[in-house]
Amino acid sequence: MPNDRFDWHADIRARVAPARLHPQDEADVIEEVAQHLEAQFADLAPKIGTGAARARLLAQLQGPELDDALARRRRRARPTRSRTWSVTSFARDVRYAVRSLRRSPGTVIAGTAALALGIGLTAVMYSIIYGMLVKGLPFERADRIALVYYADPAHEDDQIPLADFLRYTQQQHTLSSLGGYFLGSANIAGGEQPERVTAVRVTSGTLEVTGVRAILGRTFAPNDNDPAAPPTAVLSYATWRDRFHSDSSIAGKDVRVDGKPYTIIGVMPDGFEFPRTSVRLWLPIQTATDTLRPGQGPGLTVVGRLRDDIEYDRAQAEFAVLSHQVGKDRVPDTAERRAIVQPFVRGFVPGRVYATFYTMLIAVILVLLVACANVANLLLDRAVARTREIGIRTALGATRLAVARQSLVESGLLAALAALVGTLTARLGIALFNSVMLDHELYFWMDIRLHPPVLAFVVAIAAGASLVSGLLPALQSARLDVNTILKDESHAASSLRVGRLSRTIVVVEIALSSVMLLVAGFATKSIANLRRVEPGFASAEVYTARVSLASRDTVRQRRFFEALERELTAMPGARGAYIGSGLPGAGWGIARIAVEGRPYARPQDYSPARTLAVTPGFFSAFGVSVRQGRAINAGDVLESTPVAVVSESFVLRQFPTGDPIGHRIRLGGPGSEGQWLTIVGVVPTLYATNFDMRNLWPPEVLTAFWQERNLSSASIAVRGPAEVAAAAPIRKVVTGLDAETPIYATATMTDVLAEPTWPVQVFGTMFVIFGTVSLVLAAVGLYAVMAFSVSRRVRELGIRMALGASGGDVVRMVCRQGAKQIVIGIALGFVAGAAVVRMARAVVFGVAPNDPVVFAVVGAVLGGSALVACIIPAMRATRVDPLVALRTD
Amino acid sequence: MLTDELKKGSAEFLILSLLEAESRHGYELQKLIESRSDGVLTFNVASLYPLLYRMEERGWIVGRWVEKSGERRKRFYRVTPAGRTALEAQRESWKEFVTAINRVSGVRYA
Repeated sequence: MPNDRFDWHADIRARVAPARLHPQDEADVIEEVAQHLEAQFADLAPKIGTGAARARLLAQLQGPELDDALARRRRRARPTRSRTWSVTSFARDVRYAVRSLRRSPGTVIAGTAALALGIGLTAVMYSIIYGMLVKGLPFERADRIALVYYADPAHEDDQIPLADFLRYTQQQHTLSSLGGYFLGSANIAGGEQPERVTAVRVTSGTLEVTGVRAILGRTFAPNDNDPAAPPTAVLSYATWRDRFHSDSSIAGKDVRVDGKPYTIIGVMPDGFEFPRTSVRLWLPIQTATDTLRPGQGPGLTVVGRLRDDIEYDRAQAEFAVLSHQVGKDRVPDTAERRAIVQPFVRGFVPGRVYATFYTMLIAVILVLLVACANVANLLLDRAVARTREIGIRTALGATRLAVARQSLVESGLLAALAALVGTLTARLGIALFNSVMLDHELYFWMDIRLHPPVLAFVVAIAAGASLVSGLLPALQSARLDVNTILKDESHAASSLRVGRLSRTIVVVEIALSSVMLLVAGFATKSIANLRRVEPGFASAEVYTARVSLASRDTVRQRRFFEALERELTAMPGARGAYIGSGLPGAGWGIARIAVEGRPYARPQDYSPARTLAVTPGFFSAFGVSVRQGRAINAGDVLESTPVAVVSESFVLRQFPTGDPIGHRIRLGGPGSEGQWLTIVGVVPTLYATNFDMRNLWPPEVLTAFWQERNLSSASIAVRGPAEVAAAAPIRKVVTGLDAETPIYATATMTDVLAEPTWPVQVFGTMFVIFGTVSLVLAAVGLYAVMAFSVSRRVRELGIRMALGASGGDVVRMVCRQGAKQIVIGIALGFVAGAAVVRMARAVVFGVAPNDPVVFAVVGAVLGGSALVACIIPAMRATRVDPLVALRTD
Repeated sequence: MLTDELKKGSAEFLILSLLEAESRHGYELQKLIESRSDGVLTFNVASLYPLLYRMEERGWIVGRWVEKSGERRKRFYRVTPAGRTALEAQRESWKEFVTAINRVSGVRYA
């Protein structure tokens, strides 16, 4: 007889499953009924054949009576699938985590501190990016405010000439309002003291674009731009409050601006800052436009508000077409320029600033990752120490998920705590950053606070951090094998695996830190370079100011400055007094130059130079001596031969072989009507900063201030002891000559020189902070791993020492293990770091991005501190008594 | 032929009786009932287990998995004290019922 056996379990399970019994009951029923059917089949099959027997028994299973049987078995509710994830079990996990964390305050403090630092730095960085690059202008529907400019890579100038602007205003249909402005300054007279203030010249649409209304009176109407209209002015709230004592009937009264009466038509609300923070006065552009052709008129920054139904690409397309048409009529007919329409901030902020700030965000996220790696290691250590506990929990029915979740809940608690502490840290950091930035205006709309989106970002990164730092330990805990753990008294097997993971984490930590330290190293070297710069002229004991004359009368202007030079030189104690077009260092002019007798076929053949028109006092005030020929002297006046003194860098460029003295040069590119200047002397190359901090020793040309035709404004510098080289004595001299002329931009020469370097200083310092934090975190992380690994190997090390290994052998052995990680980490970090340094070029100054010194120093610092982190636990291991070690399990 | 109602009413009585002496598993019960009734009373899984489970639910019988060496474990049912009480009561009423039927119908035991 063939022993036909059927597995009835599947048939019965299919019948029983819909009843959804408790799994235990279900299994019992299936087993019992299956046995029954199997036995019955064995009896039945020989009599009626297997096919018939099976059919009959299967038919029995279909009977409705079985449902009654199953109903009787529903004694217990079937557990719901989400039992592991119910609120109560989660609460239990949290309670458990709190209790177990409380037992190890060391872990909590170390983990929270590390994460809080990381989260705090990230929050500071993101609030800067948010306030500067994301949030946009502080006006309603700011995302609709567009910047219109010319894309012109050849020229630095991206402004739109007034004549072009007018054409766009008439012909465009995509912007609901359009305005243009240029920044300047103006003397406000009347009241207590004359004052030089930031004033903006605007077209009538400019204030309309912001959507902000005047609190008193009105803003500009188109006819205010008419050259024939009586001049009008809109005051800032501060001007109205401070100069006019919040006079509510101010509209219609006069204010004297640059010596002329302007009718005040309105006052803007408190806090309204456009297009700069310190604007005190808005004045209409009143240029005669009838005869202007495209390309002519003052250059404007153009803003517009997008019409509601229009998107940027539409506006962009329209302006591309319009600028093509405008380009055809342009004078002088230079290359055509394409108009770009972009959201204001996107268009206004140069791409490299975006790159720098996002690099910094990446940098702090790296620091945060280092912190996460530390916490991951801490939790791994805990997981290993709790291997048996986890084994028992698993044996008692805890699912892998439940075990893993425990670790995630712990890291989540740490991250939540760290988010709180980190947010407080971030508040301090932001306050610090804002206080540093008070002295430097970067962008007028910058508003750096813990805005709600920043807080949301903090929550997101905290969640991310808890996941990153909790996931590895969680997976590790879940992977542990119950049998191995419960049998394994020494944990050797399980901790070995975890050890490998810990060491990998440390490699990553060291790599990330070396990236950070490289950037910090380059920033440090840049800052040091800036401090070390020898400008080629004296800056100590030199005090500077600027003065602008309201009068347009050139004879009176000249007389004023002549008197000013006399009085300043005569100040008791003054060792030099200078008047000139600007200050050396930051105040050079830019011009293209031509050397007499050389061919200049194309505009780009004219080479650029930095220029300064100086009085003879320049050489004494700034301690500059001529190398060759003579200085500019009192004889170089309007009536005498125009002269120039050039720098050595200029000579190197233009007269590499010959003697420059006696040659003639002319300022200005093609079509220049400037005078030919005879070179009479050569000075050492002087320092010339610029916003880019590139090419700081350019070709330079000094001309004679007294040979200038127009002397409306000038820089002043006085060298001497603090009693004369200060704002008050200079102001006294100036107002003594003309009561309506204020001095402004007063500063020591040292500050003037430092000012353009602030981005390198401020942001470089931030990179140094990031680097230091990550170095500390990485060293602490490495220390923890080494200490842990040594503590796990106490028994092994004890045996080695009992068998005759010396303390030195043990230290060497432990360090060798650490050294491998350090070397791999640093190598990986250097590869990545070299790329990041190139991205952070804005804070790198005067250092080649592959400077071997920086790499060497960073390697030494990181390697050294990492080695110390290894040696301390290794030394501790050598002090272990072999007898004690052998007894430890 | 026995009607379904009669069978249902008597089935619990039969099972209790069979379990009185010793504990048995489900298929054993089915076979005993069938053989002792000479095939008049038949059960199958669909009719037997609802009964067993209902009786267990009432507390008359208890099923337990019993493992014997070399065999698969089987679920054996035994009568509880409550089951015994119920069996006695059913026996009494059955006797009364049979006596009454006999008196009325004139059937006599041989």
